[in-house]
Amino acid sequence: MKFEHCIRCTICVENCPVFRVNPSFPGPKQAGPDAERFRSEKDKTVDHWVMLCSQCKRCDMACPCGVEPAQIILRAQQRYGSEHPRSAAHLLFANNFYLSRLGSVTAPLANRFAGAGIGKKILRRAGITTYIPFPEFSFKTMKKQTKAAGRGSRKVAFFYGCFINFYRPDIGARIIRLLESLNIDVAVPPQWCCGLPALGNGNLDLARYFARKNVASLSDYVDAGYDIVYSCTSCGLCLLNDYQGIMEIPRAKKIAQNAYDLHEYILRLIVEKDIRPAFGEVARCVAYHIPCHLRALKIGYPAAELMKMIPALECHLLDDACCGLSGSYGFKKTNEETAVQLGRRAVSLIRKTGAGSVVSDCGSCRMQLGGLSGMDALDPAEIICESLGIDVKGKKPAAR
Amino acid sequence: MSLIEYDAIVIGAGVAGLTAGTLLAEKGKKVAIVTAGEPTACLSTGCIDFCSNMDNPEEAIAALPAHHPFHLVTKTQIHEAFYDFKRRMAGAGLSYTGDTNRNRHVLSAIGTFKTTCLTPETMQASPQNEQENIHIITFSGLKDFYPGYIISRLKNASFSTYDAGISTTMGLASLFEDENFLETFLLWMEKQNIRENKIAFPAVLGLESASAVKKTIEHRLERPVFEIPTIPPSMPGRRLFNCLKDGFRRAGGVIYWDWQATGAEKSGRLIEAVITGSHGRPNSLNAKAFILAAGSFVGGGLRAGHSNIVENIFDLPVFTPGKREEWFEQDYFSVNHRIGRAGIIVDESFRPVEGPWDNLYACGAILAHVEALKNGCGHGFALATGRAAAESLLEAGR
Repeated sequence: MKFEHCIRCTICVENCPVFRVNPSFPGPKQAGPDAERFRSEKDKTVDHWVMLCSQCKRCDMACPCGVEPAQIILRAQQRYGSEHPRSAAHLLFANNFYLSRLGSVTAPLANRFAGAGIGKKILRRAGITTYIPFPEFSFKTMKKQTKAAGRGSRKVAFFYGCFINFYRPDIGARIIRLLESLNIDVAVPPQWCCGLPALGNGNLDLARYFARKNVASLSDYVDAGYDIVYSCTSCGLCLLNDYQGIMEIPRAKKIAQNAYDLHEYILRLIVEKDIRPAFGEVARCVAYHIPCHLRALKIGYPAAELMKMIPALECHLLDDACCGLSGSYGFKKTNEETAVQLGRRAVSLIRKTGAGSVVSDCGSCRMQLGGLSGMDALDPAEIICESLGIDVKGKKPAAR
Repeated sequence: MSLIEYDAIVIGAGVAGLTAGTLLAEKGKKVAIVTAGEPTACLSTGCIDFCSNMDNPEEAIAALPAHHPFHLVTKTQIHEAFYDFKRRMAGAGLSYTGDTNRNRHVLSAIGTFKTTCLTPETMQASPQNEQENIHIITFSGLKDFYPGYIISRLKNASFSTYDAGISTTMGLASLFEDENFLETFLLWMEKQNIRENKIAFPAVLGLESASAVKKTIEHRLERPVFEIPTIPPSMPGRRLFNCLKDGFRRAGGVIYWDWQATGAEKSGRLIEAVITGSHGRPNSLNAKAFILAAGSFVGGGLRAGHSNIVENIFDLPVFTPGKREEWFEQDYFSVNHRIGRAGIIVDESFRPVEGPWDNLYACGAILAHVEALKNGCGHGFALATGRAAAESLLEAGR
């Protein structure tokens, strides 16, 4: 929040994916530091266009002066959200966690609804787009396991995130198997939505509610000697930055000090020579689309380092394009055109590499890029599991 | 201790840093660049000035004051830096024109001429004198681009305005890469009955495929087309940055974004790691050697206080041109402000003198006595010293 450091160089604007394709959005400079000078505590906000920002954070990363326009806009979004009636889509997506819980419990029905013509019509009426298929709810969600069993060298508390939980628990199960195969014991603590969807839809109170519950649960695990491992880079960024930043959650620093990206964690153990995974050949050519929020984590690209260790794997790294979906952002009718145009750009970069499949850490990037390209979209953990022979059913390979 | 130990870490992703990093990566080194944000190169015209205060850049460099750091680079190194850059850019689809012994002119948005050494393909046909016959196309509502300024100075120029529905350089560049837009636009152009020999555009002819867009327009209108650089967002500056960045990546380099180095871990005469701020665990990156290419004041490598000038990462001694009241001239637009001389003094191997570090090098705008504005030696100096610093690091066997 250092808007007075802005020298108006426009580098943020050049990096804004939304500005590039949507002329209604004035760009991060105007929506951020410029408008901030005119935001008064007394007057009701009128800057409705702040809601067009997708919070990809590319402006924060590009700014040479440390201004963080996305943070300024995020605060303006919360204020706008609290002062104006929210649209149906904003309300629904802020409560994504509860909605998904419902969807998952009624999975066969909910999926049929979302896939059918009438369902799509209702979704569109509510301001939700259907240009890519809505992800299918999984009836089975992640099973809690409050204590790590086994005698591994380390204990991990796995923060799986809503995407894995409600849509792809099979990936979650595989990640657990992967960690166990590396002699790590895994607990699956009680956990809630990280809060990012609520924040992104202008509901700071709900985001704080989720964050407090998560911090209470996870800090017990930290106290008991667990490392926290997250696999969704957006959940990770929220846990690390937003809990301490805009949400001001007490004890959040403790979580940030002990939370690791899954691939960062594995890479760390390899570098420290704690583990020596025997990577087998994976004869694939993949395009690794770096999620914007992984860039913002400032930890480099650890999954890329791991994939470099896999024999026969050809990996093309792409970090210049935002996929455009940005969680629930692209699912809103008002943002559909922006999301589709950005998605097509990202897909054209992927096609240029000649890769056979897309790899990305972020579930929503995979949804968008897989949906628009028709290609397989995989989590890097899936490639690593393939290399280590950890199969779909999660059979544990011989200890290495 | 960071996860990965690099052979070299370059601080700064500008022209100097990317040039140094690319050379090291091409020589098989494991290189990372850390950067606080995107470089000031993005704000530039994309032209490469080696030394533009005379007609012949080579002679101009030779005539620089004895303590100018350009003298630390040999003539061969300057040539190699020049041809390497041309080769890399041509490979990236953005050819540059120019010679080391002759400067060229580029028409500016206010109708004056900028002197430079290397120009991107899209500015190659820029007029070399005020008599040339040109027709300027501008776009409704485009901010900070007024052909009237140019016409007041170039008597044989005229202009027409196209309404593209978008009034920003970024937005227009996006449109020009859309085939349907380009076709509609070309049909409009053909109806204008332009009589002049050359057609000028503000620099908005695309971001990724500007050369191809320019060629398409030239082909259809059967005469040379050129771009006039704009104030930021400057598409030619961004194209330059993108091409250099992609080249570094292709050579195997890694970039850490939003990674503002705030300090260093040191041991004896060696720098072991650079550190950045973090919400959680300390975040550091280890390497065997470091190149400081963080730029000067605007780039963030130097910081001026009320009475002193500091370099914040390694706390190197900074050459300060006298007392604060001597830093600035009375005339705001003067190119002689003494503050332009501030910076790090390096020896012939590009290591900071008086600094106790064996594995630290510096290059680009952070060096003392550069006076880039006065001498017109911004990007060219960065290319040459970036290359020389990397070569020095390699020679030392690091």
